[in-house]
Amino acid sequence: MLRFLAVRFGRALLTVALVVTFAFVVLRLSGDPATLILGPEVPPEAIRAFRESWGLDEPLWRQYFSYFGAIASGDLGNSMRDGRPALELVADRIPATLALTVPALLLKIGIGIPAGVYAAMHRGGPIDRTVMLVAVAGFTVPSFVLGLVLVMVFSVQLGWLPSGGRDTWLHAVLPIVTMGVGGAAILARFTRSAMIEVLGQPYIRTASAKGVPWGAVIRGHALPNAAIPTVTIVGFMVGSLIAGAVVVESVFSWPGVGRLLVVAVSNRDLAVVQTILLLVAATMVTANLIVDLLYGALDPRMRRGAGQGAH
Amino acid sequence: MALAEASAPRPGLARPPLGILLALLWIALMLFLAVFGDFVAPQEFTAMDLMARLSPPFTEGHWLGTDELGRDVLSRLIASIRVSLIIAFGATLISAALGTTLGFLAAHFRGWVEQAVLMLADFQAAMPFLILALAVLAFFGNDLTLLVLLMGLYGWERYARIARGLAISAGAQGYASAVRQLGGTPRRVYLRHILPNIASTLIVSMTLVFPEVILLESGLSFLGLGVQPPMTSLGNMVGYGREYITRAPWILLSPAVVIVLTTLAVSSLGDWLRDRLDPTTR
Repeated sequence: MLRFLAVRFGRALLTVALVVTFAFVVLRLSGDPATLILGPEVPPEAIRAFRESWGLDEPLWRQYFSYFGAIASGDLGNSMRDGRPALELVADRIPATLALTVPALLLKIGIGIPAGVYAAMHRGGPIDRTVMLVAVAGFTVPSFVLGLVLVMVFSVQLGWLPSGGRDTWLHAVLPIVTMGVGGAAILARFTRSAMIEVLGQPYIRTASAKGVPWGAVIRGHALPNAAIPTVTIVGFMVGSLIAGAVVVESVFSWPGVGRLLVVAVSNRDLAVVQTILLLVAATMVTANLIVDLLYGALDPRMRRGAGQGAH
Repeated sequence: MALAEASAPRPGLARPPLGILLALLWIALMLFLAVFGDFVAPQEFTAMDLMARLSPPFTEGHWLGTDELGRDVLSRLIASIRVSLIIAFGATLISAALGTTLGFLAAHFRGWVEQAVLMLADFQAAMPFLILALAVLAFFGNDLTLLVLLMGLYGWERYARIARGLAISAGAQGYASAVRQLGGTPRRVYLRHILPNIASTLIVSMTLVFPEVILLESGLSFLGLGVQPPMTSLGNMVGYGREYITRAPWILLSPAVVIVLTTLAVSSLGDWLRDRLDPTTR
């Protein structure tokens, strides 16, 4: 078990290091932020001073290592636009994003998993067909289209809900529904197929053949086994609590991390983009780590098998 | 596995169900528009008609209406379909080629090469692609070639895993080692013998990745960070149409419908092909 944990933890750190490298390579090599921020007509001395203060004129490998060092000490640089620490700027936006993504996650789990389980147990029935239809729609309708259609219906036509901004809790309804519906559909599809797969296994037949009541077979044998693939998807959704809101926040002008990312990217605000990338990676890695631990709890084979095959 | 046993015997080459026929019809229409769009479009997609700004659909000469600058929505839609499909096709091919190559390399060399490929695949699967793409795109600027290349990184890890797994198991089978012992180079073994044998699985994966690429591109373009004006793409049109959602909803509705129907058609075709062709699905 200890080895299992160590391997997982090592991998998580490696992923973070890869993201840091990726961020560094892409963001530093792609262009010259100095001219972009200051504009082409600025005197060269000003550009030189700017580059110096941002460390942009040092050799790349030096920038790379000092970047790692800076991150380790919690310094993620300042926003190039207003000079505030990037970490602070991003941290300010996190509550707004979580105010959307956490309820959306609850909505996904609360609808998706029961719908998937029910559909699998009544395969081919009207509910199953409906769930599958909605699940396919949830995959093929992109969130910005769904969001805009909801705006058209509930804001423009009916005038019940605001179409954007963040003043009252009513403003959160449409973004949460937009995110929740698509995710619930995906989760329902996964849960359904995991459940169907499990229900076809010999141990289910054995359990019901030896006289265990059907409800107990479902609770005691089918659900725990179907939980394993489902946990993976839920883990991915938890991991994208920060990243999952980019498009929806933009549709509804919600001042969260996703909106900040889009703005920062169009302004080439390196420090902010890097900070968000790292934040996303950190949540993703943490969620994966938790999923791995849950695997260990759900499936005793994982603990003995020292971590391989847990994909 | 139990599912395959329970399902009815394969109906051979029976006619595909109605839904699939409709999907094929829609895909054919989209392909036709992508190839011959210039001849079919009623107008130049950038042509402005300032006398007929924001005319509703079914106006004489503008069957899907016009936008704020009086540009014909149908013509813009056709141009957008073209751009979006070219990007999605290009990206899917690049990603399949890249992933398959890496998968084969991993299967051939094993050892650290394999570990490196698998690690990259894990990394790619773990990071939300939109975030990576956003970072790369905006910082390298918005260029169509770059956009296609970037989208071409989407989903490579799936092909790589499939190609690696299947190539390893093919390497243990008679035909591959027979060619090898006859003196075939590794390249010949992989490209002429193993690739045709695993092609159906790869093609199925392509039809499943393709709609995701369309969604990704339209999402990026919607955010204003993908295809740039004066060029237009489906996501672009939706993003532009959002400004006129109260006054002229038709600007965004028609591209939105095309996005949804195309992803729906391609992914149901993919699901159907997978059930039919792919020997590895359970």
